[in-house]
Amino acid sequence: MRRDAAGPASPGAAALLSPCHPLLVVVGSGGVGKTTLAAALGISSARRGDDTLVMTFDPSLRLKDALGVGEEARERAVPVDLPAGEAAQGAAGRLDASLLDARRTFDRLVARYAPDPAARDRILGNRFYAHLSGNLAGILEYMAVERLWEVAREGSYDRVVLDTPPTRQALDFLEAPGRIVGFLESGALKIALRPWFDEGGRLRGASRLGPLGRGLERFLDEMVGLDLLRDMAEFFQAFEPLYEGFRERARQVEALLRSEETLFVLVAGPGEERVADTLFFARRLEEAGYRLGPVIVNRVHPEVEVAEAPDDRPGAPAAADPCTPDGRRLLAWLGARDRRGLARLRELLGARRQVVPLPLLADEPTGLPALEAFGGDLLSGL
Amino acid sequence: MPDASDSPAARDGLLARLAQRRLLVVTGKGGVGKTTVAAVLGRRLAAGGARRVLVLEVDPRENLHHALDLPPSGGEVGDAGGGLWLQNLKPRAVIDRIVRERVPLGTVARRVLGSTVYQHFTEGAPGLREVAVLGHALRKVRGLDGGPGEPFDLVVLDAPATGHGVSLLAAPRLLSEVIRQGPFGEMGGELAGFVADPEQCAVVVVTAPEEMPVAEALQVQDLLRDNLGREPDLLLVNGCYPPAPAEPGDDPALALWRRRRRLQEREIERLAASWRGPWACLPELPLDRGPELVAALGRCLERELGQRDGEGSRDLGAGRPGGRASEGNPPAAPEDPQ
Repeated sequence: MRRDAAGPASPGAAALLSPCHPLLVVVGSGGVGKTTLAAALGISSARRGDDTLVMTFDPSLRLKDALGVGEEARERAVPVDLPAGEAAQGAAGRLDASLLDARRTFDRLVARYAPDPAARDRILGNRFYAHLSGNLAGILEYMAVERLWEVAREGSYDRVVLDTPPTRQALDFLEAPGRIVGFLESGALKIALRPWFDEGGRLRGASRLGPLGRGLERFLDEMVGLDLLRDMAEFFQAFEPLYEGFRERARQVEALLRSEETLFVLVAGPGEERVADTLFFARRLEEAGYRLGPVIVNRVHPEVEVAEAPDDRPGAPAAADPCTPDGRRLLAWLGARDRRGLARLRELLGARRQVVPLPLLADEPTGLPALEAFGGDLLSGL
Repeated sequence: MPDASDSPAARDGLLARLAQRRLLVVTGKGGVGKTTVAAVLGRRLAAGGARRVLVLEVDPRENLHHALDLPPSGGEVGDAGGGLWLQNLKPRAVIDRIVRERVPLGTVARRVLGSTVYQHFTEGAPGLREVAVLGHALRKVRGLDGGPGEPFDLVVLDAPATGHGVSLLAAPRLLSEVIRQGPFGEMGGELAGFVADPEQCAVVVVTAPEEMPVAEALQVQDLLRDNLGREPDLLLVNGCYPPAPAEPGDDPALALWRRRRRLQEREIERLAASWRGPWACLPELPLDRGPELVAALGRCLERELGQRDGEGSRDLGAGRPGGRASEGNPPAAPEDPQ
């Protein structure tokens, strides 16, 4: 293996950065450090000799900050300038990063797949599309799927590390391809594609249906307004030539996500209160048939021995103030809390699932060297 | 309102002013403790029963009830005592109810609600879900549902962590632009006015003293100004470590405490330099989530804000951990009230 040249590979690296899993998907609740971990994994992967792409579609663009890539990463994958590390020795692979912008990806797709410029302009100029493309629930996730498809097809990377967006439920994005396919195959589309409106902008057929038709038209007009429905109908019609491609790509990505090649890395916050969340994600992933790798519990407070009661310490009036607890006591409490959480999680997940605690660092890993060290900690903990 | 820092109104306290609003939107990035802070604000503003306050949680996974030691809401309004109620809300249920109210025939309503077109429409219509949530809050304040606790004096909305809370507040205008008529369009128009009115609606941003949450809080401040022409009413920095002692010592706990605290101070400095309105820090406390934590944080919040108002400064620079007034803040000189 090429990566042997990059230093002694830990058993964890073999498991996580194995050629068996060219796609790593990092999932978890918001605020647990997914993006940081994805970046760290990407750096470790490149350092071990694999050409790697880190993809994030986090709208707060945290990866951009972490990797120091600019706005151009929204348009294309940009190279990350890895510092010359001792492990590099000329064996390092390439590291690229890309940021997902739902609106731009959508516009680009329309431009690429529209049969002619007129069709393209019809879609891009549609009032419904203008609102939809930035706002539709699941569109960000779906656009990630499209990007993932492009990257997978080009096959120019040994490994892709995919960060996931801070959705309400971190698994939303996994369901996006299925949802889109379901939508495209549902009767909804057929209905939407019917010529609903005549040239006069009246609901077609409403007059033929007599009082019932007029009632329907009045009801629709009253609920949402006929002009919105007209925009929607126009949008769906203008979009029709693109459907088949969307559906096919969504299917392929869904197959990729479920394949042996894809490994999911679940990141969790520490503490007992997060255990239910973590367990929920782990079970959902497994039930849905995805391959779940190790569960990483990030920012675990260390075990702290409190030698003396704060009240015994000379000159510690702060201890009496409930809003200013003694820091050592606080850390000891947090450490104990996080250990309880880990024990509980291990108990509930069972022995067959590896739980990897990562300690709370004195400084957050924000620069490339710190991220690289963080990735090393993760892999050696496996 | 002109700069009120020297007026009696300022000394009445920011909390008292917030209590006069009808809706308090609590927004922040996932993982910063937004739900706990919403409960703290709700508990504090209910003032032991002087006001009727509903805390609304919009998250399919219920958490709020843990903070108040109640069973899960399951969509119902639960009484937490002392003038405080809570409810977990599914936006979809609100939209369905509007359709049921507008469609006189039960069978037709059922067919509409069961149709895939309707389901995709409610999923996809821009801003519809957000407007449904805000509309629900308004109904609760006006007592239109006739449910437990109504009419509420105040609704505290624990906004979904998806994207920016700004999209929730901008949704009514967006929806009223897309859907220009009908019940949804009217609701959008009415709510756009409601959330833009600083006398009725307050925005509280919750953050943590860490790089990314701070960056997002500052972004929310700018987006609010650019998109809604308003400023947030309060910023709460949650999970602050206590100031570390200067005493020498190299035990690992003290070292970690110092380093983490220094890290937090850097982030808080960054906030202080760019945050235009009132802000305060809430401490990390050695307490599990629950009523005890909510009560303790409520006392800390009151004290933090009380100190600030006592100092008569609108920037509330003393909120930095360590309690020193910030030299980085501009003086409370002529400031644009909006």
